[in-house]
Amino acid sequence: MNRRSFVKKVLNGSIAGSLLLVWPMGGGSLEIPVQIPGIKGRDYDILNQEFAFIVDVTRCIGCGSCCVADKREYNVPDGNYRTWVERYVKGFSDKIYVDSPHGGLDGYQHPRTDIDEEIRDTFFVPKLCNMCKEAPCVQVCPVGATFISPDGFVLVDEKRCVGCAYCIQACPYSVRFLNPVTKVAEKCTWCYHRVREGLLPACVEVCPTGARKFGSMKDETSEVYKILKGPGVLTVLKKEMGTFPALYYKGARREVI
Amino acid sequence: MDFNYRMRLLTVLISMGVLAGGGLVLKKVLLPDSFGVYGPYRADAIAEAALIPIRHGTNTSCFKCHPHEAKIHKKGRHQTISCEFCHGTYADHVTDGKKIGTLPVKKEKEITTLCLRCHNTEIKARHEEVIKTVAMPNHLKDQRVKITHNCNQCHQVHAPLQYIIRAKQITGLMEAGS
Repeated sequence: MNRRSFVKKVLNGSIAGSLLLVWPMGGGSLEIPVQIPGIKGRDYDILNQEFAFIVDVTRCIGCGSCCVADKREYNVPDGNYRTWVERYVKGFSDKIYVDSPHGGLDGYQHPRTDIDEEIRDTFFVPKLCNMCKEAPCVQVCPVGATFISPDGFVLVDEKRCVGCAYCIQACPYSVRFLNPVTKVAEKCTWCYHRVREGLLPACVEVCPTGARKFGSMKDETSEVYKILKGPGVLTVLKKEMGTFPALYYKGARREVI
Repeated sequence: MDFNYRMRLLTVLISMGVLAGGGLVLKKVLLPDSFGVYGPYRADAIAEAALIPIRHGTNTSCFKCHPHEAKIHKKGRHQTISCEFCHGTYADHVTDGKKIGTLPVKKEKEITTLCLRCHNTEIKARHEEVIKTVAMPNHLKDQRVKITHNCNQCHQVHAPLQYIIRAKQITGLMEAGS
């Protein structure tokens, strides 16, 4: 060993050693703080749960973070969307123009240029499963593959689904789609697998402005509980359909359908 | 009561029993286990739906191994932004505590495109109380920088006002510590 390599080795060793001391040894499995209290590490009482989702239309900036996160969380095939963001443009003639290029996956980089009249108002409306308490998609499923779980989630049994697509026709919110890969009529589940681990749904987690809120109604300190209890005006989509959604919209104009 | 009558009664009873038993057996064979525990569906499907792998972590999961970025990110205006939105999914980077891949870092014009996803005034649906927006290239002209500049040449992407506040402090436009 000559002097050069000796010095090199000593230096490398001391740098590596000091790094070991400085570097917090991270890793381990997904370590995450509690986002929905009272679920992680406890017996999940499936019969005594209630969750609510609130979309604050006035805070949505149409960045499409939620759509990106959703696609990544489930590897949703191109052209299908579990959640998407619509852009509503309202002209001075009260005419409504709605578009959602790629479901908002690429964000909204440009204003619409194909509208002749003067624009009065533009706003974004995120759409996802409404988790109806009287779900049409559950009613029509001939094999019992779509069901409302005791904790209020409308879920799909991937093993039982035969892909007949009745639910796709029945859903008033166009939330369901036939996955071209698995041939299962999938839907947004409010990230049931995350909720059961005490985590927020992926779209709520990434929303930078807090336009999407999720929480337990059994927890009186949760934001959604406070909003739903409070005096603010909340609406649901297509109330006249009698689906009783657990998804509420805050600040949605009456044009939103 | 003759023999025939009893035989007939017995036959009827036995056939009813066979039918009912056959029905029960058929039900057992045709219906999956756990069907009907909570309702007319397979109760096991709930547990299966809960067992899908979680792919997104939270910012806390990222900060654990990236303390330098964490320090900047937590202080800045961009603290509500998810790391994973710009850099990619946690599960593509770490699985079972092991690093399995490198997440991309956005470069040059990609950064500007990414910034304008949220900060573009032209969309006219972004209220001032929610987000600060700019119009391009007017913003570059107003700030008297080259029109080819990318956002990150003035704004630290994790804490967009960090350099600007510092510059103001140095030039005396803003008091240090404010």
